[in-house]
Amino acid sequence: MANVFILDNGAYTIKAGFSNQNEPRIMPNAIMKAKSERRRPFIADQIEDCRDASGLFYILPFQKGYLVNWDIQKTVWDYVFGKDVFNVNHSNTTMIVTEPYLNFTSTQEALSEIFFEEYEVDALLRINAGDLSVHKYHRDRPRELCCLLVESGFSFTHIVPYIQGKKQKDAILRVDVGGKVLTNHLKELISYRQLNVMDETYVINQVKEDVCFVSLDYNTDMRTARDGKQANHILRDYVLPDFTTIKRGYVRPLEESTGKSTAGEQLIRLNNERFAIPELLFHPSDVGIQEMGITEAIVHSINKCPEETRPHLYRNILLTGGNCNFPMFKDRVFKDVQSMAPDEFDVNVTLAKNPSTYCWRGGAAISRSAHFPEMLVTKKEWEEDGFNICQERFSV
Amino acid sequence: MASRESGRQKDASSRRILDESARRRRARKALEALEQDNFHDDPHANLVMSKKAPKFEESLDGSRNKDRKRRTRSSEYFKQRFRKTFTILLEEEQALYPDGPNYLTVQAPSSKRPERRLCAVCGFPAPYTCIPCGSRYCSTKCLSTHEDTRCLKWTA
Repeated sequence: MANVFILDNGAYTIKAGFSNQNEPRIMPNAIMKAKSERRRPFIADQIEDCRDASGLFYILPFQKGYLVNWDIQKTVWDYVFGKDVFNVNHSNTTMIVTEPYLNFTSTQEALSEIFFEEYEVDALLRINAGDLSVHKYHRDRPRELCCLLVESGFSFTHIVPYIQGKKQKDAILRVDVGGKVLTNHLKELISYRQLNVMDETYVINQVKEDVCFVSLDYNTDMRTARDGKQANHILRDYVLPDFTTIKRGYVRPLEESTGKSTAGEQLIRLNNERFAIPELLFHPSDVGIQEMGITEAIVHSINKCPEETRPHLYRNILLTGGNCNFPMFKDRVFKDVQSMAPDEFDVNVTLAKNPSTYCWRGGAAISRSAHFPEMLVTKKEWEEDGFNICQERFSV
Repeated sequence: MASRESGRQKDASSRRILDESARRRRARKALEALEQDNFHDDPHANLVMSKKAPKFEESLDGSRNKDRKRRTRSSEYFKQRFRKTFTILLEEEQALYPDGPNYLTVQAPSSKRPERRLCAVCGFPAPYTCIPCGSRYCSTKCLSTHEDTRCLKWTA
């Protein structure tokens, strides 16, 4: 049996590894340039060598969630496959590579060509990341018939119903809010209200991950945040990194959030920003994106499916992708969907364990399934039929 | 004879009010900003690298050199071969699958719920609307901050 390498090629991070590993390695899918190191661009996880990550400049291969900068992507892949990281021997490797829903045809063609002609892999499976997640979900729960997948990543959030493992393309919905919009919005708010951090995407992304949470009762939380003084249990100080003594920013606990810096550290105060940022996922119209929020879209998408499948879909809502790491994300989805769903249906929401890598582990699971060899396109088939056989076999 | 009119009325009538298209343009710009990868310019943009300076390899047999040559060529090759912007890709796909499902058809429709009104300055619920630009504000304090910074000038 040949090696299987799973490449979950996200717009912000790559999750990659051989199928016999327990967990993938996560690294940025980007080339980054720092102000402090004038000579050297950092590829993927080389950024860990960078001592001063202020003013980090990103060059991303993806735009709006779709692969467009091939030279950047090729450089990152060369690094990931190379001897510094995984040292992949392509000629005896089966490659699973993920791509976004409804990927553009010419991008699909380019992907196939690169893997067969350039890397010369033995066999290839191009698949939606969500298909892998749902495969894993069904493998863990063989008795369930349907699954409603919510995949909330860097560029956008997709809501996709799967009926008996098959995705319902007509009911797919995309909400154009993802981690990038959240980070950019937080950057904007802090820069306007407190301190100019417009250049600090990397740092503010950490701020977002450290302090933001999903509100279960937006109006009450707003009132609490406005109160100030003792009653406000939301307000926090965040200590920004200076990259000499403080390598990484951190949040101060409530009782130490006095707004005063003791040893000259730079502070920002976060109050309603803490929950107003993730709130964009549920109310994109707060920043003028005229679309439904995630929960409204879930109900809308389920209503596009055949009536007899709806109870099953409400019972099997699966949350994956990095944004699901916000505390209380799952509870909010459950609360909102239950309030909108018909009374007679049970609502059940599952938060994938480790939502960022769930899809990768789905890839590892699929590579061990009995149907796996039928899903692949081998090098020989590519040489005979080219892109046609890929289009027949892969459905994205 | 000096005209006798109230200063407040005079002030109100001479105030510039942004029209609908200008407001839409502003909203679009704000959305574009949310899509940006970087706000600042490439810090290495003005860096002059001398191409003639010899590059020292770790190995002496030169085998790595050959490998590298092939790689840089192919990276450039793929750049040329698949050079398409997002807009071009979108148009192609639209022509290929006009009835969908495609990128445009799967976009979530607009919400059925009313928009929330949040203060453009502090982010708390805001009952008032700024007359010149249409932003929301919650108090006179926020209004004056708004007028000083963003309303018609956009300094921050």
